[in-house]
Amino acid sequence: MTTLLYTHPACLDHDTGFGHPECSARLTAILNMLRTSPFAALEWRDAPKAEIAQLTRIHPLAHVEQLLARIPRHGHYAIDGDTILSPQSGEAALRAAGAVCAAVDAVLKGEANNAFCAIRPPGHHAEPRQAMGFCLFGNVAIGAAHARAAHGLERVAIIDFDVHHGNGTQAAFEQDAGYLYISTHQAYIYPGTGRRDERGVGNIVNLPLLANSGSADLRHVWQQDIEPALREFQPQLILISAGFDAHYLDPLAELNFNEDDYRWLTEQILAVAADECEGRVVSLLEGGYNLPALAASVAAHVKALMEAPRIVQRSLVKRILERQKAKRNAASS
Amino acid sequence: MYEFLQYQVCDAMTADPIAISPASKLREVEELFENHDFNGVPVVDAQRRLLGVVTKFDLLKAFSFDAHALVPHYDEIMEQPAEAVMSRDPVSVAPQLPLSRLLQKMVEMRVKSLPVVENGRLVGIVAREDLLKALRRATIRHELPVHEEP
Ligand SMILES: [Zn+2]
Repeated sequence: MTTLLYTHPACLDHDTGFGHPECSARLTAILNMLRTSPFAALEWRDAPKAEIAQLTRIHPLAHVEQLLARIPRHGHYAIDGDTILSPQSGEAALRAAGAVCAAVDAVLKGEANNAFCAIRPPGHHAEPRQAMGFCLFGNVAIGAAHARAAHGLERVAIIDFDVHHGNGTQAAFEQDAGYLYISTHQAYIYPGTGRRDERGVGNIVNLPLLANSGSADLRHVWQQDIEPALREFQPQLILISAGFDAHYLDPLAELNFNEDDYRWLTEQILAVAADECEGRVVSLLEGGYNLPALAASVAAHVKALMEAPRIVQRSLVKRILERQKAKRNAASS
Repeated sequence: MYEFLQYQVCDAMTADPIAISPASKLREVEELFENHDFNGVPVVDAQRRLLGVVTKFDLLKAFSFDAHALVPHYDEIMEQPAEAVMSRDPVSVAPQLPLSRLLQKMVEMRVKSLPVVENGRLVGIVAREDLLKALRRATIRHELPVHEEP
């Protein structure tokens, strides 16, 4: 059993223009890091293109066709000030969404414990009918919908720790209790959604954090909100919208997470996954714009995914010890 | 130092300062900051009634993170009018205010300059540098010998 890495060279060819923070150098930095010896056990797989039928579980067909039709033959097409199409953007977007679906298939078939999708463009801002915020298709939403439609799962949880709120993912699922969407993000910045009182049908858990929140605040919301919501939901699969722009060196926001926080958070998620869904986790890249910080944070995250069996074991041992203690207490009283 | 106590704002301020209209673009404000060592520029209507102040901080604030865009866009923001970012109802001082009291006020408020208003009209602007200059001027005579030797 292993950790899969899904990526594709086409994701490097999505060109957002000179100086754009969501650049292919992000992915290059990540892939260079994952080619070093500590990651030798990763099993690399080429991301397939998503089928149109996989996209249309989230996006209306007319929207998908319109978006793909806007892809320019030369130069760039700006959907908005930040969201740019280039000639290779269509294939990159299809490979990004396809990576998540393929990773979901592999993990649900038991080919691996878990998977990380090193993909761009990111997806969590893409609403069903509107590409925005660097995002074209809602990669994580498409993967979650695939898990339910193709594998018959009833409950899929998504944890989004990107510094921005995943308005697209929330919009896709806020009426469907088969999905649980949990997001930590910085309050009052882009895209402006993600208030605590946006609760969907009780399946949306928004945890806005004030500027300058850091490690302690992350641990606090994990204990108070994330873990209880996740365990109560009893997910059959956990997807992670893994954006690393809450890092203290990121230029696009003001939260203060560090690499070790990402390791810690990943281990917490894996421990719940071990208890609830046989450790099945699929993680995929969203934001993160300081290249060295991004590469180091992804390294910490993927290392934790690779060490999942140890975390599962630790969680099992803990449960056995707790059971023995409960028995002893029962016997002595 | 006793002489300093005699000074009033009108003795130290810059009279008839450059001011802008609420419709002035941030691009023009930026040019003013670039070409003069202003900390802030007063915003007035056609009758030179004081409506607000745009400081360098207000200009920077226009570029801070908000819900509108992932990345602030320079050209778009520089096209905004001054009234979009100015501080409204700014604190102002009268020309007759003693400089000693102006000094207290500026230290307490941690502001770098204040507009001077008389009969509702902007008549001047007074900055930290003006206070420092007035302090120097007021005390320079004490460096001269008090009793001349015959
Ligand atoms: Zn983000």
